[in-house]
Amino acid sequence: MNKILNIIKGIFSVPPQSQAAHRLLRPADGKWIPVVCWHDCGGRCALKALVVDNRVIRLKGDDTHDDTPDFPQQRACVRGRSQRMQVFAPDRLKYPMRRKHWVPGGGDKSLRGNDEWVRISWNEALDIIVSELKRVKENFGNESIYCRGGEVKRTLNLFGGCVDSWMTDSLGSWMGSGKRIGLYNRKEGNKFEPYTSIGDRIDLRNSELVIMWGVNPAWSSPGSPTYHFLQVKKAGAKFIFIDPFYSSSAALLADDWFPVRPGTDHALVLGLMHTLLLEDNPATNPLIDWDFLNRCTVGFDAKHMPDGVDAAENFQDYLLGKKDDKPKSAEWASEICGIPADRIKQLAREIGSTKKVALLASWSPARINNADSWPQAFMTLGCMTGHIGQSGRMTGTSTHIASGNGGPPLVYAGDRGLVEIPNPIGAGANYVGGRPNGGVCIPGNQLWSAILNGEYLASKNKKQKVDIRLMYHAGETNMLASREGQKKGLEAVKKLEFMVCHSQFLNTTAQYSDVVLPITSQWERDGLLQDDGNRETIFLGSKAVEPLYESKDDMWIAREIGARLGLDTNLIESATLPQQIYNSVSGAMVITDDGKNYEPLVNIIEEDIKNMGAVGTPQTGRISYKELKEKGIYQIPRSPNDNFRHIPLEKFRIDPEKYPVSTRSGKLEIHCNELAEFVAECGWSDIKPIAEYITPTEGYEASFANWQTKTKGEYPLQFYSVHYLRRAGTTYNNVSWLREAWTQDFFINIVDAKQRGIKHGDTIKAYSKHGAVIRRAHVTSRIRPGVTCMGGGAWTEMDDKLGVDKAGNANMLTGDITTGQGTSGWNSCLLEVAKFHKQLIPDHKWPARILFKKDKHG
Amino acid sequence: MVEKKQLGFYLDISACIGCKACQTACKDKNDLPVDINWRTVIEYNGGSWEFENDNLVPVNVYTYHLTVSCQHCENPPCLPVCPTTAIRKGDDGVVLVDPAKCMGCQYCSWACPYGAPQFGGRGEPMSKCDMCADLRAIDKNPACVDACPLRALDWGEMTDLRAKHGNVTAVDPLPDGNLTNPSMILTPHKHTQALSNGVGHSASLPESNPKAKNAIGANIIKEAR
Repeated sequence: MNKILNIIKGIFSVPPQSQAAHRLLRPADGKWIPVVCWHDCGGRCALKALVVDNRVIRLKGDDTHDDTPDFPQQRACVRGRSQRMQVFAPDRLKYPMRRKHWVPGGGDKSLRGNDEWVRISWNEALDIIVSELKRVKENFGNESIYCRGGEVKRTLNLFGGCVDSWMTDSLGSWMGSGKRIGLYNRKEGNKFEPYTSIGDRIDLRNSELVIMWGVNPAWSSPGSPTYHFLQVKKAGAKFIFIDPFYSSSAALLADDWFPVRPGTDHALVLGLMHTLLLEDNPATNPLIDWDFLNRCTVGFDAKHMPDGVDAAENFQDYLLGKKDDKPKSAEWASEICGIPADRIKQLAREIGSTKKVALLASWSPARINNADSWPQAFMTLGCMTGHIGQSGRMTGTSTHIASGNGGPPLVYAGDRGLVEIPNPIGAGANYVGGRPNGGVCIPGNQLWSAILNGEYLASKNKKQKVDIRLMYHAGETNMLASREGQKKGLEAVKKLEFMVCHSQFLNTTAQYSDVVLPITSQWERDGLLQDDGNRETIFLGSKAVEPLYESKDDMWIAREIGARLGLDTNLIESATLPQQIYNSVSGAMVITDDGKNYEPLVNIIEEDIKNMGAVGTPQTGRISYKELKEKGIYQIPRSPNDNFRHIPLEKFRIDPEKYPVSTRSGKLEIHCNELAEFVAECGWSDIKPIAEYITPTEGYEASFANWQTKTKGEYPLQFYSVHYLRRAGTTYNNVSWLREAWTQDFFINIVDAKQRGIKHGDTIKAYSKHGAVIRRAHVTSRIRPGVTCMGGGAWTEMDDKLGVDKAGNANMLTGDITTGQGTSGWNSCLLEVAKFHKQLIPDHKWPARILFKKDKHG
Repeated sequence: MVEKKQLGFYLDISACIGCKACQTACKDKNDLPVDINWRTVIEYNGGSWEFENDNLVPVNVYTYHLTVSCQHCENPPCLPVCPTTAIRKGDDGVVLVDPAKCMGCQYCSWACPYGAPQFGGRGEPMSKCDMCADLRAIDKNPACVDACPLRALDWGEMTDLRAKHGNVTAVDPLPDGNLTNPSMILTPHKHTQALSNGVGHSASLPESNPKAKNAIGANIIKEAR
């Protein structure tokens, strides 16, 4: 019997709004309210909710304007379309609750994750949290309290601070490497800074060849990006995919496919560059843009080195193998990356000889251990071929909010205007290329070992003692599912004295907590103006329903805890939500038609301010607040002749001295001391200032017991995880419609499956040296032999007897390995797969994690 | 002579990425629980891996997706087998189930080569796509059409759809269009396999009980290999 959940069996097959009950709610009685889809998927799409009697009975998509490819409706993906099944899910947490056998100090900690839950009042819950915070602070100091993000962090900062953690997120090594070599790849606080070094979607249509290096918008950037890429295809571009998986984007766009092994992209790109170098002849066969290399970069050859650097350190000599007698030839690369040498050469010629090429990479190849030089290697290919800084020619990342659509925002929101409360201990908010600028801030992939072992590596040769006793999860609330080395994570949280989590569901982190607080979704309160989607749109979501059950806003909790701790609650909530909304709306700016300036977006009259319940002054703007509130979206119309085209590095290319990039030399750095020094300072492993290939930890090479004889080792298969339509990060995992539509299957090639006697649909066990999962096998020719794959972010369901996760969390398979700049190595992992003797029930038949029967509400 | 009205769907298979936004928009609009899908998406793929020197290389690996609902066939096989005359073709050619007459015997579901009519459990009538009659009545598109992020789905008068998009009504792994005259026009994907040439296979795994006959597409999703 499963004591964990007090599950009401069978209820899962009946949706929360069953057919019978639902028929009583008539659409005609409803009102359409614009709502947000608030998840961190990189997209932002328009949704309207039909609300009847505090229920959302239907959604619809963007109908605010006619749909054209240039000015498309912002249509939501399968997840947005499922969102009412999330907000009104049967397993929404209803009440504050406590682990039954928890006592101050922890009690029997081994019961975490397996204990029963007791419903408690808000008062009791807040009192427990406050007394534990006080107890831990008194006995061990603020350095024993951990919290990353969320409004309650403001309270904890006022309370004396807390330990934070940092990580390279989905960016992998682009986080710290990108800007240092000269390519933008994310926002670093400046709203005007372009998110990436690729052009906008309309200029992309001028490309003749698009290289999609690990780029799969159909799965990882739903919403509009894939449709934008289709327009590029229709405009005549050829598409080449470099990916271990014949992705759904490839099915839509690919003219050719290079099934590279995970973690070997760097070897492949070296093979491409070596071919270019070997075959280039400026007179008869120009493949290399020497003019660009000479004027706009440093470090390629001995004649163009940065000041004060030994000419012998140039990249060309490394490529030719002058120092190590190993030319990084197509043949050399082929053995590693698995692409036949003649195909590598063919690809090099195509990239070098086509006039307008877009070299687009996802972050995925950079999410491996030892990927620190990969962004530089990729950039160097762009530099050699000169596909940078001109119309249709670009090199950079196509990801997240800037998937296939780079450039500064055309419309952005105002700041919400909360007074900043610094953290006296951790410096989590102060990132420098991923790594915090001092403070007690744990590298994400050392978090679990830091809890278990009491120390982590803060920087080179500098160990930092840390003694975490209390974890408060209020911002990024499901890190127990999202961090590498989850098996160790489950051990680590059982060592804590107290763990509290704000959540809407019993996700993995909530499941292992002592106290869980039910919080509202963004459908249960008015929203701030949101500009965290693509550059052309901005969203204003409205409150659709009253808070469900006893759930409360994060800020309410932050205040209540602050009050109990005797802190200044008016500083914690230094601006009310209505005031924050007003601030975000009144400060919103939109680009002028000439593309040169920004002007206020929203026209606000006295009455609007009164209705909002805020303090402010009327202003003129392009769209009335009333209209924005009704539509829930403002979108800049685009056309091929508008002034919003973005060609990054265009001026730099013309005059690099006058318009330098953000590197030390002001040029794109093929030799980059700053990057090498940064990685060395991190202290885990060193890299060279040029993009030398480093064998990944748990990569293809490590899958062999003997590389020379090509004898495989104990874990012969590579594994990587992808952004998958079942979830955004780890959210949505419980949503019944998504469980049904996007099954959490384990992808394995037909050849590997056959060798192991596994058939399509069989249940399998995948096991690495770190942990094991049980899942259904999806046997397919679409994935490269020797490679396996799964969507990331499933909510762990441990079978303690077998020691396996039945839900298939990819991080049960990964290890908490730290290299280079502390890059998360989700995509460098080795495992073995075997047929499993028992059959798994399909996920959507699993009982929902319903804890308490609902009382009267809904 | 005025041709009889027949509405139908159009799908550009070359643009479908199998994202299931349509399936889910349909569930949302029609408030369908899990295991009942008036629209579903099939992944179809093929190809192999063979050794070329020391490298395993892909040989004709391809994949395409298609979304399938009730085809509102001109000769719907579900209609004559219904013992209670609950199924009829509306004036616009849309195939409709009258829930008041239906006793849920599932004959229609067995007769339909697309597995379109859905069984909701004992005591529940069969249900299926009606091309969002309520939305069409107020001049809106069916929910699935407006949901498609790739704009691969459309609907309209079959005569118009044929004029615009041709006459293809079946590709692998769909049943032969001559069986029922489905009201669905397809633009093939470049890798679309000719009907039942047996090269590829459906990769979609049955999401509900693998043996459930009434899961839409279940009879299309043949056991792979």
